[in-house]
Amino acid sequence: MHEVRAELTASVWKILARPGTPVAPGEEIAILESMKMEIPVEAPVGGVLTEFVVAEGASVQEGDLLARITAD
Amino acid sequence: MAFTWESALEELRRRHEESRRLGGPERIERQHAQGRLTIRERIDRIADDFTEVGEFASIPIRDAAGNEVGSLPSSYVCGLGTIDGRQVAIGGEDFTVRAGAPQTYLDRWKGGMGGFVEDLAHEYRIPLVLFMEGIGGDVSAQDEKGHSYLVSSMSWRRSFELMAEVPVLVAVLGSAAGGTAGRAVVSHFSVISRGSVLFAGGPPVVRRALGQTVDKHELGGAEMHTSVSGAVDNLAEDEADALDQLRRVLSYLPQNVWELPPRGDRSDPVDRSCDELLKLVPENRRRPYKMREVMRTIVDRDSFFEMGPGWGKAVITAFARIDGIPVGVIGSNPMHIAGALDGAAAEKQIRFVDLCSTFHLPIVYLVDVPGFMVGPEAERAGVVRMGMRAIQSIIEAEVPVVTVHVRKAYGMAVSATSNPDALGLRIAWPSVEWGDMPIEGGVEAGFRREIERADDPDAFRRQAEERLLALADPWKTVEAFGMEMMIDPRRTRRVVADFLNASLHAMRSRLGRGDRRWTMRP
Repeated sequence: MHEVRAELTASVWKILARPGTPVAPGEEIAILESMKMEIPVEAPVGGVLTEFVVAEGASVQEGDLLARITAD
Repeated sequence: MAFTWESALEELRRRHEESRRLGGPERIERQHAQGRLTIRERIDRIADDFTEVGEFASIPIRDAAGNEVGSLPSSYVCGLGTIDGRQVAIGGEDFTVRAGAPQTYLDRWKGGMGGFVEDLAHEYRIPLVLFMEGIGGDVSAQDEKGHSYLVSSMSWRRSFELMAEVPVLVAVLGSAAGGTAGRAVVSHFSVISRGSVLFAGGPPVVRRALGQTVDKHELGGAEMHTSVSGAVDNLAEDEADALDQLRRVLSYLPQNVWELPPRGDRSDPVDRSCDELLKLVPENRRRPYKMREVMRTIVDRDSFFEMGPGWGKAVITAFARIDGIPVGVIGSNPMHIAGALDGAAAEKQIRFVDLCSTFHLPIVYLVDVPGFMVGPEAERAGVVRMGMRAIQSIIEAEVPVVTVHVRKAYGMAVSATSNPDALGLRIAWPSVEWGDMPIEGGVEAGFRREIERADDPDAFRRQAEERLLALADPWKTVEAFGMEMMIDPRRTRRVVADFLNASLHAMRSRLGRGDRRWTMRP
């Protein structure tokens, strides 16, 4: 199980990948918004996106868990 | 006994072999079991050849009655080595001998915090490479002296003086506490291997002072220092990686401040068109991008080496070459707090700019900065003072600064990207936007009273924003020569290389230590 964490303090703007679907390494799975910028969250590994633990609109701190991926 | 060459040389050979035994097979075994090399192995791996100085210095071992019953080699190994064909002074503690404790038992200190190896670097003006693994202070030294002493009796002068003279490159491999930790930080570049630790005082000291039980890695681990404190520049995966990083950094630096850095090969054509840049910088202005890739594209192929990648992440600082000329490349990092200059980023930039200035590396600054970082956290961390220090460091830099404007340039942070009192050459891409502050927040603050009084505040705000946005057309600034050049990004490498080549004449005439008696603070 691979954990995807927020790299910065931001709000969750868009969630792009659906739980249960495969993701490729480097694929954008969500977009955070911080300092008026859209910060893409990329899958660190390829696998199946197990879950998102945050919803769109949520505020996250640096290091907060965003999603889990079961690696291939 | 009469002197004979045979017996004299036999004695020399015997003593040479003894020095190779370090602190004994058990201690060496323990060092290896923990994934660490001995000081002699480290030196053998980094140096093509090595001439040791002080090989026969030793510590007497005494029994309870004070009779000398044997000896150990001294706890420091040093000498003159060659790394990639360049002569350097090399030294390091031998952790297998009394955990690398200070050499108070010798007539002359061998190295670290002054000592022979530092004198060698100073007098012969050659780089200093130090391996740090030791416990710093040691109560047994007081035992030997027969009295306690103040650390302030010991001079740090040489160590700091070297910061203005020759490259000082340090690897922390294992534990570095107290004086050893302090010495490690007084360097131009430091690297620490995963699993190593560095602190002012280790867990036992913390327990006594604060009643706090803390794990040594949590307290001063390699990961912490290279991502939170910034006390060490780079993290290495293992010892081999650390040695590679030292070798790599040395390749960008001159032997001393009286020489220019060695020019590398010029096989990557300067007029190579950098078409990737148009793909790397997104058309959507709200989208950040990988500034590291932008930097890599412009500099010579495979010449990019980042210093301090793990902390102060709003700016990227890297050694590189353009047309073979060693340069310091700085880039705003839009992927981290939109590239706003916060306290940590400012501190990292200051260190790097000072280093470039000391060793005559021209600076290429790729700018995309929305301003100083704002917010309660940033203010509490002293962003204003650190930001202004960053501006001071670029003004003080005695090297050309070529500034390339990629996208945003707002607020005072822009003053930390070029120096109008030197040539202050700025080159813009058509993707730029700039001003003394971003329009939206600026209208809100600057027209507060008018907005409140307006019949339709929203309409007033919108109109004011539209009017100012029209003025923000970067071409108008270019027409007013408020920006020296506007170019097709794909030509950046060529244009920057031309100016860097031209600057070499001035650089040659400005060699030496500059105006200051001391240069950069660590």
